[in-house]
Amino acid sequence: MSELMSLLLALLFFVPILSSVPIAFAWVYRREEPWVKKLPILSVIGLFISLVIALYIKFYVPDGPHVINWLPDLNINFVFIFDYLSKNMGVLTALIAFLIGVYGLEYMKDDYRLGWYWFFFNLFTASMLLVVYSDNLLMLLIGWEGLGLASWGLIGHWFRDDDDISFVGMKDRKILGLSLHWSPSFGGWRAISTIRVGDMPMFFAIAAIFALTSALGTPNLNISEIPWQELFKYIGSAGTIILLIALMIGPFTKSAQLPFSEWLMTAMTGPTTVSALLHSATMVAAGTYIFMRLSWYIKPWDMHAAPGLETVYLVVLFLGLISALYGALVAVGCRERKVLLAASTMSSLGLMFGAAAASFWVGEIGVSVAFWYLMVHAFAKATLFLVAGHLIHVTHNRFCVGDKEVAKKLKVTYYVTIFATITLAGIPPLTAFWVKSGMDEVMHTLIEEGMLAPLVLLLITSVIYAAFLAKFLSLNFIKGEKAHLSLHGGKIMATAYTVMVSMLIVLLMYVILSHGHVESELIHMGLERNSMIVGLVVIVSYSFAIFKPSIKALYSVGTFLGDRMYMAFLNDFIVPKIGWAIAIVVDYGNRSIDYSCHKAIPSLFEVSSHNIRSIQSGYLKRYMKIVLGLVMVILVAISIIGM
Amino acid sequence: MTGGIPVEVLVLLIPLIVTFIVPFFKPQKATAISFASFIIPFFVLLYKLLISASFEFPLLDFPGPIGEFYLFGDAISYAIGLTICIVSAMVAAYSLSYMKHRFEEMELESETEFKKFFFFYNFYATSMLWLVFSGNLILLYIFLEIALITSFLLIYMYGYGNRQWVAILYFIWTNIAGVLALVGFLMIAYDNSTLALKGITSIGFTAWLLIFLGMIIKLPGLGPHIWLPWAHAEAPTPVSALLSPLTVGLAGYILLRVYLVDPWFIDTYKIPILIYAIISSIYAGFSVFKQDDFKRLLAYSTVSQMGYVLIAICLGPFGLIGVVIQYISHAFGKSILFMSAGSLIAVYHGLRDIGKMGGLHEYVPNISNSALMGFMTLGGVLTIGMFGEFFILYGIVDTFGKDSTLIDYLWLIIAVIVVFIISGLYSFYTLRRVFYRTPKEFETPKVSKLLYVPMYIIGLIAIVFIFPPLATGLVQNLIQNITSIIGGLP
Repeated sequence: MSELMSLLLALLFFVPILSSVPIAFAWVYRREEPWVKKLPILSVIGLFISLVIALYIKFYVPDGPHVINWLPDLNINFVFIFDYLSKNMGVLTALIAFLIGVYGLEYMKDDYRLGWYWFFFNLFTASMLLVVYSDNLLMLLIGWEGLGLASWGLIGHWFRDDDDISFVGMKDRKILGLSLHWSPSFGGWRAISTIRVGDMPMFFAIAAIFALTSALGTPNLNISEIPWQELFKYIGSAGTIILLIALMIGPFTKSAQLPFSEWLMTAMTGPTTVSALLHSATMVAAGTYIFMRLSWYIKPWDMHAAPGLETVYLVVLFLGLISALYGALVAVGCRERKVLLAASTMSSLGLMFGAAAASFWVGEIGVSVAFWYLMVHAFAKATLFLVAGHLIHVTHNRFCVGDKEVAKKLKVTYYVTIFATITLAGIPPLTAFWVKSGMDEVMHTLIEEGMLAPLVLLLITSVIYAAFLAKFLSLNFIKGEKAHLSLHGGKIMATAYTVMVSMLIVLLMYVILSHGHVESELIHMGLERNSMIVGLVVIVSYSFAIFKPSIKALYSVGTFLGDRMYMAFLNDFIVPKIGWAIAIVVDYGNRSIDYSCHKAIPSLFEVSSHNIRSIQSGYLKRYMKIVLGLVMVILVAISIIGM
Repeated sequence: MTGGIPVEVLVLLIPLIVTFIVPFFKPQKATAISFASFIIPFFVLLYKLLISASFEFPLLDFPGPIGEFYLFGDAISYAIGLTICIVSAMVAAYSLSYMKHRFEEMELESETEFKKFFFFYNFYATSMLWLVFSGNLILLYIFLEIALITSFLLIYMYGYGNRQWVAILYFIWTNIAGVLALVGFLMIAYDNSTLALKGITSIGFTAWLLIFLGMIIKLPGLGPHIWLPWAHAEAPTPVSALLSPLTVGLAGYILLRVYLVDPWFIDTYKIPILIYAIISSIYAGFSVFKQDDFKRLLAYSTVSQMGYVLIAICLGPFGLIGVVIQYISHAFGKSILFMSAGSLIAVYHGLRDIGKMGGLHEYVPNISNSALMGFMTLGGVLTIGMFGEFFILYGIVDTFGKDSTLIDYLWLIIAVIVVFIISGLYSFYTLRRVFYRTPKEFETPKVSKLLYVPMYIIGLIAIVFIFPPLATGLVQNLIQNITSIIGGLP
């Protein structure tokens, strides 16, 4: 049984990667042949096999760990954990990846780099699955780095930088000399450079946990087994804060929380399928997922005595909620389809961090609510991205355009968008409503702790959130500018996002019909009076934005928000300027060392040897003069000292 | 065991014998023989590493103060030895295509030149391989000098630019290093009346200082580092692909061996050494951004990576594991990168200026993809480099007191994290400058398979090394080896 399990897990990760190797090679060597165009189907089959295995794990594998030896002497092994979080998350990841894969068969069929695309797409999925199921932090890091690498490859997929449809920002738009127009290769570089900044502190924290647990007895890197309480006591409050913040910088950069948010916006230079995958179940979700998993096993609610822990959770709570508000405001100002959705993702991730961090005060329910929101958000956001991709194909425009004609011609797309937006906005009685009510209740409980701000931030964010979702719908299907449509195909794409959106109904059924502890809690909280009021406010905000998607009077505010409050200056101006200043100083240093060692010192030798040689003329007179001169000098010296 | 001679010694003899017979073959055969002469020891050493073997084989017995000459192997030697073998084998295969192009460019007669080239090449690589297994400091010094002279000659004959000047520059710098180390070795000899590693009991201050300074020049640290960009950039690429990945790192290996004999010097002065190493690594990391010559850029990155080695050696038993793994990962990564820089030179007739590159992935995807693997290895993304970084970070907490809170040495933690971040940043920054962005006007050339397949193989090995059984064997045996000498199991 154990060996079968190891085999299944190996298949889960390696089949998607291996199934995309044929297209990766064939595309380089045999691009012209017709059968090569069919190879992507093989990659999608690989994704499907992963899905089947993930489903099998969900329904037939008992909770608990599964261990495969790696570095047994150090007690570092491949430890897979099956629990509530990982089982559901695994299915979610595999399912979304598979559906987006199917969509990609049509969306990407005329692309110039299919080998690269499918290889990194499947690597992306496999890495995420590794992150989802791993209990061991070092093993998690393999998946984590895989995510970073694959996202770099996919965001910079259209590396030729030759098609404005793949850019982000407006051409020729400059603020203070800084161009607000980003190319795909730049987007990729920005993503990997930001992520690198987060990964290294996280890596340190992992190594430190290993060293500290070995000081406590046995070295351990398994999240579910680390003696967290003793660990925190051992390193005291300053140590706990340093350790956990270092660990959390990884998730913060991956999940694009402030101030690391810019890369996520320019990540929209990648193909839309990539954005859909990146924003729903992989990459950005990985950050919040890791935080949930950590909280699930640290159990901070039982550890109020641990020094420093409260500070960490406070930081995460407010960082998350402020990022949520920032993302929502940016989304309101955005006019680019995908960037709008990207900003909204950032906002959602902030809410997840906030809710999960609230667990310190409210208990496990905080994490559960955050996780449920992750699932609902994943399906809804993936759907919206796939719709956006279809619209970009049809209108050849990455900005929000489209009037009622689009709605008429693309009926399925239209209805899917309506359903996805109202579900995600939290309009009762649809899925996100129950989950958002859970969040409301969680933040409401925090008032007892003397914190009103979280609830206020959450409510403002929710209202704005509904507004920009409605704006997205309205500007693309109802009240946008007239668009020129080129309709052909699109059947596979439409099927994929229809299936995707219907998953929201499955989740809704699950919430209502299941008698699980978390689900009944959600229903209970949704029926509270406060939640109903919030639901009503959200409906008002949503309907207002449908009828008034853009307000002329607020144009300048909108531009400020749409320019992401000029956060780009941090990434494109402040940090590079400092870096280049150091690089220039260093370069002068190299030149001067080079000059002194290879020019000045050799020529000094040359000059002195020349001078010494010039003495050796062979005339006795000259030698006499030198001797006399030296005698004079000595006499003078003696007379001075003698004084 | 074959008649009392360990099989390791037999396989070490193969490249040595091949060195002297290879000039009698035609270029193609010579390449194949050289390749085979290194790939066989690779598999043997890998096998020996995985079964945690060890050996000792006496060669000659000199009276004091020289002491016994002997060969010995433990996990450290096996790990570094197999790295030297695989890189030398792959670069040998690569040389055939590359040097043919180089000889044409220099208007030399390729058949005779190949004879000279392969003789010196094999001699060079073999001396490095034997260095790793030598058990006497004088023997070690002899191999160090052979490696120096052969590489000097290769640069002198086939280098780029002002090659004679560069070769002499290289020779003088590294010879100063060698002489300093030699004086240090001799002082050890008179204190201990032997130079056999197993016989030395203590190393005095002056001796340690001289060896350390010599190795700082060779490694190189900040200041003396200035010879390296010249030598590595102007050497013919196959030589760069051995110099940078293998030779400079051997300075770290020598420090490691001396440390295992008597660690007091580094233990006492670890704070200043760490500060120096970190500054030198960050300094070189920033230098990379300003380089416009691809090979010079890679040379600066070598200086930065060697800073890792110097950092790691101050960090106790787990730092030492970090030294070995960092040596391996840097050797893999940098050999791939120098080869890819060389491939660009070969297919685009001397193209080295990054300012003129851009979008090359369009025309030479295989070279671009292998360069990606090389930079991944440098940055420790999904490759063996990950373990190197892990052990260095672990070593910090392990060395600087597990009892104190992390805040006491927060400066060190942040500094090392910055070092690691920078190497990741310049990797992907350079990749973008060279291979991505809007393609410039180039033609799609015909690229010989030998110009990229060796790089793919090294890249794959670097990835395979993070999974069992290779990772398990490597890390476990290194830990056992090092802790059996200086203690400190977790």
